[in-house]
Amino acid sequence: MIVTASVYLFGGLAALATLLMLFQRNPVKAAMLMLTALLATAGLYLALSAQLLAVLQIILYAGAIMTLFIVALTVTPQALHDKPSAGHLKKVLGLAAAALILVELVKVSAALRGSPFSTAFSDAGTLDLARQLFGRFAYQFELLSLVILASIVAAVTLAAARKVER
Amino acid sequence: MTAHTPAVISFVLFAIAAAGFLTCGSLVRMLMFLELMLNAANIAFVALGPAVKSQAYAVLLFAIAAAEAGVGLALIIALASAFKTLDAGGIKELKG
Repeated sequence: MIVTASVYLFGGLAALATLLMLFQRNPVKAAMLMLTALLATAGLYLALSAQLLAVLQIILYAGAIMTLFIVALTVTPQALHDKPSAGHLKKVLGLAAAALILVELVKVSAALRGSPFSTAFSDAGTLDLARQLFGRFAYQFELLSLVILASIVAAVTLAAARKVER
Repeated sequence: MTAHTPAVISFVLFAIAAAGFLTCGSLVRMLMFLELMLNAANIAFVALGPAVKSQAYAVLLFAIAAAEAGVGLALIIALASAFKTLDAGGIKELKG
């Protein structure tokens, strides 16, 4: 009962915060709404018995990635004065495309209506997850370090090129 | 509760974020909505997949999202200093 209520509560909160982001003109307030959506998602993970993911969500998304966004907003003055200036046609087309995506996804997921979902809170997942990550998924996990390294090199190169141009 | 409920929540989140990505003009906002789309995909992974394996995939997606945000924001800052605008419609030429 509590788990089901939490899923609805945190899911609704995340959807509401994302929806409000659409209409928020101030980029910093939009970033705060995004933070709310990400924290609500962490609550959703907790309700779905994914404790490690909830912690990672707070550390990585709500911590590191949001800090990056706030830094990007402060170092680019253009971002603080941006106006949501998409054309009327573009807005209508974008909303229609998003509605189409939603309808199709919900239609596809109709097959899941009968499949049961355990609402019992389980605390045994983290050890199994670690076994999977360092066992079966070890190769992919190590490969990710290369991806992160490449992204660090790319970001530093882009920042260095900007300095040289000055 | 069936598996349909968390799946629909993730689909709604994905669709709202996609609407934001498609309708806004600012690059920073577009990247924010892109992150939220990845976030919704992560929820779908956790909600739909077999318990531990789907969480392992979600952890891998976390790292990819972090890498994407880092490179994306570095690109946006470089574009902002070169073009003096963050409006996606105002950036019309790319030259190495």
